[in-house]
Amino acid sequence: MSGAQAMAPALADLLEGKGLSRKAAAQSLLSGLGAKLTRASDLPSPASRRDPLPTRVPALDRLLSGGLPRGGLVELCGRRSSGRFSIAMSTLAAATSSGEAAALVDLGGHLDPQSAEDAGVDLERLLWVRPEKLKGAVASAEMLLSTGFPLVVVDLGLPPVRGRFVPDAAWVRLERAARSHGAALFVLAPYRVSGIAAGAAVSAGSARALWEGSGRGTRLLGGLSARLVLEKDALARRGEGEMGLVVAEVIAPLTLPSPPCGGRGFAQSLSSPNGGRGFAQTPSPPNGGRGLG
Amino acid sequence: MIACLFVPLFPLAARLRAEPEIKDEAVAVCEGNGSAARLVAATRKARRAGIEAGMTLPQARAILPKLVARGRDRACESSAQEALLEVAESFSPRVEDAGEGVVYLELDGHPMLGVPGEITPLTTPSSKGRGAASLGMAILLAAEKALLPARVGVAASKLAARVAAGLPGSPTVVADGEEQRFLAPLPLERLAPALEIAATLDRWGLHSIGDFAKLPEGQVGSRLGEAGRALHATARGIDPRPLEPRLPPPVFTEGLELEWPLATLEPFLFVGHAALERLVRRLETQALACTRLDVALELDPGGHDARSIALPAPTRDVKTLLTLVRLELEARPPGAAVAGFSFTAHPDAPRRAQLTLFGPAALSPDRLATTIARLAALLGSDRVGSPRSVDGHRPERLTLTGYAPPPPPRVKPAPRDGRGLLSVRVLRPPVELEVLLENAPLTLPSPPDGGRGEKEIRPVSVRTLAPDAAPPIAGSVRVAAGPWSLEEGWWTDAPADRDYWDVELTDGGLYRIYRDRDGGHWFADGVYD
Repeated sequence: MSGAQAMAPALADLLEGKGLSRKAAAQSLLSGLGAKLTRASDLPSPASRRDPLPTRVPALDRLLSGGLPRGGLVELCGRRSSGRFSIAMSTLAAATSSGEAAALVDLGGHLDPQSAEDAGVDLERLLWVRPEKLKGAVASAEMLLSTGFPLVVVDLGLPPVRGRFVPDAAWVRLERAARSHGAALFVLAPYRVSGIAAGAAVSAGSARALWEGSGRGTRLLGGLSARLVLEKDALARRGEGEMGLVVAEVIAPLTLPSPPCGGRGFAQSLSSPNGGRGFAQTPSPPNGGRGLG
Repeated sequence: MIACLFVPLFPLAARLRAEPEIKDEAVAVCEGNGSAARLVAATRKARRAGIEAGMTLPQARAILPKLVARGRDRACESSAQEALLEVAESFSPRVEDAGEGVVYLELDGHPMLGVPGEITPLTTPSSKGRGAASLGMAILLAAEKALLPARVGVAASKLAARVAAGLPGSPTVVADGEEQRFLAPLPLERLAPALEIAATLDRWGLHSIGDFAKLPEGQVGSRLGEAGRALHATARGIDPRPLEPRLPPPVFTEGLELEWPLATLEPFLFVGHAALERLVRRLETQALACTRLDVALELDPGGHDARSIALPAPTRDVKTLLTLVRLELEARPPGAAVAGFSFTAHPDAPRRAQLTLFGPAALSPDRLATTIARLAALLGSDRVGSPRSVDGHRPERLTLTGYAPPPPPRVKPAPRDGRGLLSVRVLRPPVELEVLLENAPLTLPSPPDGGRGEKEIRPVSVRTLAPDAAPPIAGSVRVAAGPWSLEEGWWTDAPADRDYWDVELTDGGLYRIYRDRDGGHWFADGVYD
């Protein structure tokens, strides 16, 4: 209340033209409890709607020149435990924490809300769709793109992918839907599925679990490291104006640290209302549970 | 001022509204069965060929063999009357349902009429007269949009408005106080007198309303009784009946009685699509959306089938509603041919949102509701929603709520750092495993009770028990970490008492497995990925 009262004379001064020379009056309008004005620089520019959508995985953002392109399809494939799902969570966290709505088409129904929340996903902005078959996943993704979701993540789960083969034309159609609505479509699959439709294809491989402890002593899962390989980058070729697709081997390491809650691996998904430290105590982590960075 | 909205040949107009594809044909609507069926109304094309109301159907067919005949359909007429009322309600909150294609609406205070007061007729136009005429024209256009060819009369009393609405050249505006002068030249039939009174007046040589109005009121009353006195008052433009406004309907219904029973789904959906379109158009006029759709089917030769389809969010999308009807009927076929149907929409206000100029674009609530409804129809309502975590310790805990994202922030949020965390894919349901164990000396510090020489068990090999389990898991354990104990809900019927392990197999797979201490069975319930 006091902030609003303090702001009133400052606003009155500004409206009368007297306060323009008073820096303090302008500052009080922009800061403090009663602040009701916003700096123009704080407003998102219309151009930001065309900026790539960051995945917040530095290696992947570097490969994709800033993140997932809006209006394109990016496919990430990798075998089991290659960090695919973690990248999906990180991307969803990046989009939803910046206020954008996002949809996850989860073919295997693998989402763990607790784990997603820990990764920074704003669950209120996340629409979770669990189709049973691949065909349903593709149909759902098309509906979501046409609704205007700026980010649609399609996770095809673990191999074998449920459902019959979907023709390339379906993926081309999805890519066109993404392009016409300016949405980022991120497909995660155990093997390449989208064929020519993908603007960029990245593979995650050479995954290695990072364990703490050694020998027969107490071991703790510390994280995962994998290599991301940009196998196809049609967008870059298009930018150069040449026809056809290029296979460019750009290799960057991916490292996923364990959560900073103290527990590793299992303990992260068992995080309890007390902050997720309940199960990390037996056996206690030797280094206090720091992430691996 | 009162406006009368009147649809000539209402049974025919209602039928053509339901079947617009035959409106250019020679169509007649008849009432009754078999050869005793008599025509009630016919289109202009049929009338030009000599078809008249009152003919039997065989007579009409003898004149015009290609005549398209339809029976009177009460469901159609009821829907058309509702649609007419809704058109009127989009202009005035006080609307009276006079039945059979006649609706009165009060126009006092309408902005197009300006200050309430006298309105001069169109022959001497003034701003108020032009306003009333423009308003009448707007009402006509709205009725046409609802697929009902209507006429409009505007006057100070219901009677004058009704008579004015019956005249061609609509809209017709009668100035306040000019009712008697307006009625005078018109034939007496316009007042629709009782047959006996009409015959008497004919014998008296009276043919126009003005002639009848000139007779002394007392003499008319003594000769024609109370009915004659009332008719005389109306001839003088006196109509004491006030407007009786109706309450808005709690539901919207559209239906059709089919000429032939339909035994397959596709033809039914074809006619159902048109009915749903009409229903949605009516909802639009009231700025409402459908939140629940009731489907009532008349079965052949007898019987009823009723079902209700709840929508996750109010919608006005015909395609969505039709898809839901299709899925419902495919899932539970009615079991007999359908001879008639009605769709009843339970209305609710559609979701609205303020769009932003600068922030991230918000989703259109209407389109979002439609998409969620379609996804729920395609996949099942329990497979679409917004996930939420639940208090507790079991990894599989989960709840799903309706998706209603908050509006995007007005300003750009501060970027957060990009440290990705290792996530786990939850396997629902858990995959049962066969696990080989090795006993190893306990490496943990001895418990306070001194220990009892227990050996630590450690998984050395895992394999899915069922050959067709998905995902298949098999391999030797390279690294195992655990156990972590979990005990929850021991006071319930479904307690959890488990020992968890994180294991890395030789093929590189990272799994979360647990041993159920009650039964000793092993399961995998997560894959680190």
